[in-house]
Amino acid sequence: MTLFHFFNCAALTFGPHAVYYKATPLSEYDTVGTCVKAALVYLGTTLIKLVLFATFLQASDNDDFHPSQEMLKALIGFLDVAGMYFALTQLTYRNISQNHKFQAIGLGWAFADSLLHRLAPLWVGAKGHEFTWDYLLQGIEANVNLVLTVSLAALGSLMWLRKSKPSALVPIIYTSAGILAAMPSISSYLHRGLKWDFSKVVGFEMSAAVAMALVTWRLFSACQRPQA
Amino acid sequence: MQLVCVSGHTLLALLFLVAAYIDLCDAASVFDVYRAIQYDLRGIPMGSRRASLNHHASSGLSVPGSDITRSVVILPIAKVNITLLNEYLQGKRILGGLLLLLPEKGHGDDNKDEDADENLQVERDLENWIIKNNVPYPVYFVYETPSLKALLDEVIANDLAGKPATATTGGFKLVVSGPEPRKIPPPSLVNIQAWLPGLRSEGDSSVVQTIAIVAWYDTFGAAPGIPAGTDSNGSGAVALLEIARLFSRLYANPKTRGRYNLLFGLTAGGPYDYEGTSKWLKSFDQRLRESIDYAICLNSLGSISGEKLWLHVSKPPENAYIRQIHEGLSEVATELGLTVEVKHKKINISSSRVTWEHEQFSRQRITAATLSELETPSELLENAGSIVDTRYLFYRNFVANITQVILSTKLVAESLARYIYDQQDKHITVFADGSNLAVSRPYVQGWLNLLSRTPRMAPFLSRNSPIIAAFHKELADRIEDVKIQHETMDSSFTFYDSTKFVLSIFQVASVTFDLVVMLAFGSYLGLLFVIALVTTKGLDDLFRKPPSSRKIKGT
Repeated sequence: MTLFHFFNCAALTFGPHAVYYKATPLSEYDTVGTCVKAALVYLGTTLIKLVLFATFLQASDNDDFHPSQEMLKALIGFLDVAGMYFALTQLTYRNISQNHKFQAIGLGWAFADSLLHRLAPLWVGAKGHEFTWDYLLQGIEANVNLVLTVSLAALGSLMWLRKSKPSALVPIIYTSAGILAAMPSISSYLHRGLKWDFSKVVGFEMSAAVAMALVTWRLFSACQRPQA
Repeated sequence: MQLVCVSGHTLLALLFLVAAYIDLCDAASVFDVYRAIQYDLRGIPMGSRRASLNHHASSGLSVPGSDITRSVVILPIAKVNITLLNEYLQGKRILGGLLLLLPEKGHGDDNKDEDADENLQVERDLENWIIKNNVPYPVYFVYETPSLKALLDEVIANDLAGKPATATTGGFKLVVSGPEPRKIPPPSLVNIQAWLPGLRSEGDSSVVQTIAIVAWYDTFGAAPGIPAGTDSNGSGAVALLEIARLFSRLYANPKTRGRYNLLFGLTAGGPYDYEGTSKWLKSFDQRLRESIDYAICLNSLGSISGEKLWLHVSKPPENAYIRQIHEGLSEVATELGLTVEVKHKKINISSSRVTWEHEQFSRQRITAATLSELETPSELLENAGSIVDTRYLFYRNFVANITQVILSTKLVAESLARYIYDQQDKHITVFADGSNLAVSRPYVQGWLNLLSRTPRMAPFLSRNSPIIAAFHKELADRIEDVKIQHETMDSSFTFYDSTKFVLSIFQVASVTFDLVVMLAFGSYLGLLFVIALVTTKGLDDLFRKPPSSRKIKGT
């Protein structure tokens, strides 16, 4: 709905990423390189996922929920975790602390995700005359996604980069990581299977993100205590 | 991660704030709309002069608080206040646009009779107003659908609640985009003629006389894209087709072939002083012209009031030929329960205005008369095919009107037959009901139906138009000698194209909404920035200068 609206929604969708970068110590340590590398890994992961989708999934015309298709999508979605693993462990970075590493990777990942998934619909749709709430909701979703991705990256760094973990917390770490990785499937199930309104789905995602972020935070600080 | 909680709360607050301004809405709707006519008469611009539209919706001509120059007024056609519209026009108050709702095809007739008659008059007046005035803003017609009606109800509710749609408050926006209308090159008038040769008896060297039966088939109405003129002159054209069909059967067999040639003419250019007829006549050669005994022109035979038909003539009624024609018709008319009265109107040679089709014949010194339900001649471009004609006079009483067309057809066919076969005073009915020469109701009904659904404005009919091909085929299937004549119209009319468009209706948010959203997001991002800075670097950093570009190694 006009260029004005487009700029508003774009600000909502991409603004937080920029703010996150600038406001936290990430900018001081000049972690752009890390972010870019993470974005590239995301790109690669998405391409592989697309190829797998095209090969294994049947194209369906309607928006219904097929359990088998969705299970397959979830499995392929776990590739995200693999990609994250790759980004966290395999690539070499300048010597930056663990804290900042996972934040930078999470940020780069989320930024690439927003760019690929949300820029095109925004450009095409938000400039038209007709007003819908969709693009604002999409922006909120992008924000939520940022939080989720950073949480996932945090858990990932806990799982793969930290050798000493209190054993009691290990299963919780893995469960949380699993839930985070499955978020896209859960949202899709809610949207298509239960036919929830888009705004409700976004609301759910928001609360889930807040919850998971809290859990991750607690886990992170718990694992940090021995070293502090 | 405290910032996440805070951002969640902020977002929620934002949503509530923003939701106060506009409700959740549906996607854009799209409708086919038909533009009002645009033409120049002798260089003077008339009709609606603009085509594209991009304004907010308004439900009336005088809604308080809404700027009429920047809104499109949506009105059901029966509720238009023409005096107010005219006042605005004279006072040079130009509307953003006018969208007129026509009740769905064939429907909208379940209103009571009194209402319907009033509505009829209002619609007629509106059509005439559009045709006769230079309207400097776009005027569109659209058929009312339930979704459009729901939309209009919403607009009305908003206007009544004091919240008209404008740029600052948001609401419905109507957009029609398309090229600006251009003049179309001088249109062609397509005349279709069919010739049934009469019986020439052996040993008789005299010329076989001809009787001509003529009807004009095109229209001139307020919207070229909307079918109009079922009565004027669809009824005449259909009567002609049926008469041609019946006589082609009689003439097929030499034993029943009459001693007169029959010349049928479906002419175009009826609304424009019968220009097509005039050109058609000028193309006749001398012999044909001299052999025409008389011509009968059919004009509007479907809504006969008071069972009375008028025979308009230019020769004085005392003239022997006219008397003969009249008596022939009257004899049959009494049998059918109708009366035919002669009306004489002298031709004014100096004026170019031709009020009845037979006058074109009379100018060529051919005896002719027009049979019509109309008593008085119409003004230029009036009764030349109005939308009202089709929607009210025909759809409302479709069955009754078909019966009247059938009666008229029977009248003309029977009187012709008695004249041709010399059966006057002999009480023989050639086209008796129930015989295989009876006037066919399905035929008449089918053709009237077709003409009610086909727009027939001559400038917008090309040589290959389906309706012209249909007429041609209909005649050619039964009659061998059928010709199509194309003539360029050289009258003082110039027409413009772009008659059908697509209207998109969007629900737009107001500019205020955009500004609020921008402020909200701006503050949200600012808040995020501050919180992130404070939580990760400490409060002092907020006031410290940005760090130098020298990289600091992390721990």
